[in-house]
Amino acid sequence: MESKITRFYLRILATLALSAGLTFGAFAQNLTDPDPNSPTPVLLTGPDSNRALAHSQAANRKAHLARASEQAFYPESKVTLYVTNLALMEGEGANAFRVYAENAKGHTFRFPVLDLSPIADGNGIYAVTIYLKDEVGYWPAPLADGDLTLYLTWRGLASNHVTLGLGSTDSRPAITNTKDRPAPLSMALDKKKVKEYVATMSPEYVGYRWSGDRMRFLEQAAFGPTATQDTYIRRIGIRSWLAEQFQMPYPSAANPYPNEPAKPNNVADCDGDQVTVPDVPVTCYRDTYAMYKPQTWFIREAYYGEPQLKHRTTWALSQIWVTSGVEILQTRHMVEYHKILSNNAFGNYRNLMKQVTLNAAMGRYLDMSISTKTNPNENYAREIKQLFTIGLFMLNQDGTVQTDINGPIPTYDQNVVNSLTKVLTGWDRCTNTTAGVCPNLVVGVDNYIDPMLLNSGNHDLTAKTLLTYPGSTTTNIAACPGVCTSVADRTAYANASLEQAMDNIYNHPNVGPFVSKNLIQQMVTSDPTPAYVGRIAAVFNANRTSPTQLKEVVKAILLDPEARGDVKTDPNYGKLREPVQLVTNFARAFGVKGATTSQSDGSFGVNVIGNVSGRAQTNGLVGEFLGMAQIPFLSPTVFNFFPPDYVIPGTASPGPEFAIMTTGTTIQRSNFMNRMVFTAIPIVVASPDYPNGTAFDFSDLQAISNADATGNLLLDELNRRMLHSTMTAQNRSTILPVVTSVTVSNPPTAAQSLSRVQQAVYLIATSSQYQVQR
Amino acid sequence: MKETRRDFIKKSGGCALGMVSLATQMHHLGNMSAMAQKVIDSQPEGGENYKALVLLFFSGGNDGNNMVIPNHSDPTISNYAAYNAARGTQGLALAQGSLLPISVPRLGGLTYGMHPSLGPGATGAINPGIHELYGMGKLAVVTNVGTLVRPLTKAQYLSSQFKKPYQLFSHSDQVNQAQSANSNVPAYNGWGGRISDNLTATLNPNGLIPMVTSIAGAQLFTSGQITLPLAIADSNTSLANVLAPVGFTPVNATNTARLNAFNALRQQDLSSNFVREASHVTDLAMQANAALQVSQEVTVTFPNTSIGRQLKQIARLIKKRLDLNTNRQIFYCQIGGFDTHTSELPGHINLYSQFSQAMRSFYDEMAVQGVSNNVTTFTLSDFNRTLNPAGSGAAVGTDHAWGNHMFVMGGGVLGGDFYGSKRPDGTGNYYPTLLMGNNAGALDDENNSATGRGRWIPTTGVEQYTLRLARWFGLQPADEIEVFPNLANFTAHDAANFNSLAFMP
Repeated sequence: MESKITRFYLRILATLALSAGLTFGAFAQNLTDPDPNSPTPVLLTGPDSNRALAHSQAANRKAHLARASEQAFYPESKVTLYVTNLALMEGEGANAFRVYAENAKGHTFRFPVLDLSPIADGNGIYAVTIYLKDEVGYWPAPLADGDLTLYLTWRGLASNHVTLGLGSTDSRPAITNTKDRPAPLSMALDKKKVKEYVATMSPEYVGYRWSGDRMRFLEQAAFGPTATQDTYIRRIGIRSWLAEQFQMPYPSAANPYPNEPAKPNNVADCDGDQVTVPDVPVTCYRDTYAMYKPQTWFIREAYYGEPQLKHRTTWALSQIWVTSGVEILQTRHMVEYHKILSNNAFGNYRNLMKQVTLNAAMGRYLDMSISTKTNPNENYAREIKQLFTIGLFMLNQDGTVQTDINGPIPTYDQNVVNSLTKVLTGWDRCTNTTAGVCPNLVVGVDNYIDPMLLNSGNHDLTAKTLLTYPGSTTTNIAACPGVCTSVADRTAYANASLEQAMDNIYNHPNVGPFVSKNLIQQMVTSDPTPAYVGRIAAVFNANRTSPTQLKEVVKAILLDPEARGDVKTDPNYGKLREPVQLVTNFARAFGVKGATTSQSDGSFGVNVIGNVSGRAQTNGLVGEFLGMAQIPFLSPTVFNFFPPDYVIPGTASPGPEFAIMTTGTTIQRSNFMNRMVFTAIPIVVASPDYPNGTAFDFSDLQAISNADATGNLLLDELNRRMLHSTMTAQNRSTILPVVTSVTVSNPPTAAQSLSRVQQAVYLIATSSQYQVQR
Repeated sequence: MKETRRDFIKKSGGCALGMVSLATQMHHLGNMSAMAQKVIDSQPEGGENYKALVLLFFSGGNDGNNMVIPNHSDPTISNYAAYNAARGTQGLALAQGSLLPISVPRLGGLTYGMHPSLGPGATGAINPGIHELYGMGKLAVVTNVGTLVRPLTKAQYLSSQFKKPYQLFSHSDQVNQAQSANSNVPAYNGWGGRISDNLTATLNPNGLIPMVTSIAGAQLFTSGQITLPLAIADSNTSLANVLAPVGFTPVNATNTARLNAFNALRQQDLSSNFVREASHVTDLAMQANAALQVSQEVTVTFPNTSIGRQLKQIARLIKKRLDLNTNRQIFYCQIGGFDTHTSELPGHINLYSQFSQAMRSFYDEMAVQGVSNNVTTFTLSDFNRTLNPAGSGAAVGTDHAWGNHMFVMGGGVLGGDFYGSKRPDGTGNYYPTLLMGNNAGALDDENNSATGRGRWIPTTGVEQYTLRLARWFGLQPADEIEVFPNLANFTAHDAANFNSLAFMP
């Protein structure tokens, strides 16, 4: 491998040689953004080994600071370590840090961080007190049988590795790599030396100032980077970009919501001509009763839409507030539901809660629309609490679970479910023909557009007991019989009860951390630190009555120092790319278009069955996404494609998206990429009713490949574009021979350069490194 | 979990897959290579010693109250009239004449009935269904099984001193508990995976695929502490293609180089947990793919339904057991749609038809393969549903409940009978008392005994039920506590009902 500097100059040459839009110059990012990078924490060691500078908590700190402790420590004792090179925000403390330790068997533990405080004489050194008891509980508790390799993480960055004896110490370990070099106090007192030390710890990556952060940002806030967006953000900065995004109309003007009319539920006769088939038009069934239109619209917006942030946030919300085309049968029903999510994506959570509760699609999906006082149905009453707002267990404001001697403390019991069920009885689709009551009512068609309407005779009038929690008020709803003698009385009672119940849920202290953590997991990382969750929950709570609450939340999530930075080194940082992100990120990176047109129609339907018995059968996204186990708008259950608390088998690491990463789906991911890279999707039948195919624009990469027969410039560009410059020397030396195995003439033919590009793109796109957004 | 994990690992050695260990495997297991031990295998793999467990999960919470129904008029135990009284008014009771009769020796020879779709009258029937297997002694019913931390009487349930399963009636939590056999705390792994952790080194030392296979994606049941399951698609895809990466043909210098690089990249950057685990899953897939290149086809016709295709894929893997060097296999498949809050009657006709037809094809195929005595198929579900209907008329359905009835099928099953336990205080019977309201075996509603909706407190814990299957499969007594962590809570109850749960030899 060449040195970084060599490649840097090659890059400059390439920039000069190629047109300006293709590559990315070394211009400073707009100065409205502060440096996104946090410093890398350094744990102090003795002067001549990587054994941690440590002592038991009770010991005299000053006496120990000067020398490395060669002693060992007892399990379940408190130990103080020293860390430097931090830049703490106000209020940032122990829960922003995690300490991991690995024993000789390769078992990883996590030790609680009890305290973090600056040492008295300053110099930026902090004492970190940890408790030597594994808080994960995946492996048997560590035994007092020798050295642990220990490191600390903060804001997604891992410190150097140090050694700590548990029960006994081993012979002093060999110093084998840069992470294990001694970091003694003498060094920590010299800022210049700390800087040099950290520089040698940095992963080797190339790139320009903050370019990694921009790419990462566009993976978190959008459906992946494009050259245009990257250039734009480099010019205006991510804060300005966010401000613009919050103002944008949604969806894009060029891609309005599908506007199919709702129809009777008789799917056998879509066009209503009293004959089953053929339909006129032939696409009637597909466009009315399948998820084809919402799915392809969704993909187009992800590919080409301007309001990326709202699309991304709405997608995240749709994976919390789940409905599914498995049960919601009409395009229009689903679109009306989606509008509620997008209208509130930057709005207030309390408004979102109420609007979804009264939405007819959710009413059907979770049966609230059939729940009456004589036949109550608990489905929605249970899930709104468990899945949409507070979860099962009492949370601290940093999202950690509250426990007592019986374990996690439940948030509610069956009695509360029963009571809320009663509160939610009596609403059904709006069918009142009185002018103005149901403005979107069409006789003969189920009304999924207007909010559900109360049939007061079906509302349960008995007493209810709502959620009780610290600070809860008005948890009881009195019975109404005797008072509610008229429709008007009952209606007023039911509506007041509904508002009270919504307030009762919304005011539960869990909502802030629950929603915040879910959104962080959707956008940034599967296992955020409690500090990160707590910062976002605080924003959620500070804006409880604000009409732009979620805007502030989303902004805080994306600008948080745990989200920002050019590269993250914490082994538990990031998330598996869900199939939707994998596909759209890839597509946007390579200028996705139709087979013969400048834009794809958003369909992957190559497996067109065609016009069977007069009915178009195009399957939209199903074919490609089914194998990867995530078809937008077709979640298998209300628990989404993957649960937020999923733990990766064989580990203790939370990884929601791994619930759909199996031996079967991982091969489908590779095979999907094989198809995209090498053949894409041709047009099967040239007709407006059929998919227009999918193709990618590799021409800029071919030009780069042509400019450098060694293949290095090509890998530089793909490294920057796909891996935000985290490709290692080992990765490069693995991929490069495959690229150069394609022999090229001088000058290379188009086929030769395309083949070179394809080899490299395939290998990166199918690599585990690219499967992870980090 | 407990200290005992260490022992799991020891037994499993480094050879959870019984083959050359990969870098991701090493990381995944911790640093196991030093502990790997050679296991002498005296049995021919996949031969006489072969056994398989097949879990068929009713996803969504199956209403067992309409699956196995009293069909007698004995006044001393809940009878058809009691059932009809609870469900008839709202239109959810099945007509007595439609029930498929089964005799229950252990309940004094009383007649019970199966849902009519479990027989030859199933929708789209291609075989007689599983009702006939009950008469042949190849199918058993285990009654009122459910999640428990410890046996509970109603008084104990109402007292805060006796620990109950966390989050009763919640789908996700109850599924996790049924699949992990642990209702005490949320678990990281399932009892199928833990059996594999425990037995792979001794029983599948040279297995070419993991002991556990899911035909329905990743499931808690299939994951152990170190076991990652094989997860493959149903029989729409042949075994040779089910995990085959495409795009590496024709064999030429570039394709070969690219395949090598594709594999090599997975051994890099393993310090990131997410990268490592993604690589590990792909490694498993690539290894299994090599072993699956020669497909096996089944003889019996399976219904072309999801569950039919899943069981067909399982039957193919069982037929391939010799090639795969497996003495033991555990399979997971599932049939969804049982969350019948509405329209339960037409839903059940459809679901039970699919279930019974697929099960019967599978049984017949096992017989053709000569392994019907070696393969045991059993059911679990999220929970039962309320005896009291939700809604009425055509859309009538039911809500979430608790204790439920299970089927166990196979040549090795002591079938043709009901099995179950009495309540911990010795009262009641195997089959729950079909009374809502003030019923000693059922939950009240908001502590108002008049409005209980008919949710049975399980009289047999999930671990008591599945322990019988695990023992048959080869789990040793000393290791039972590793797989079923709360077993000690059930010792006395289990002893008191030992014979009444003896559905496996």
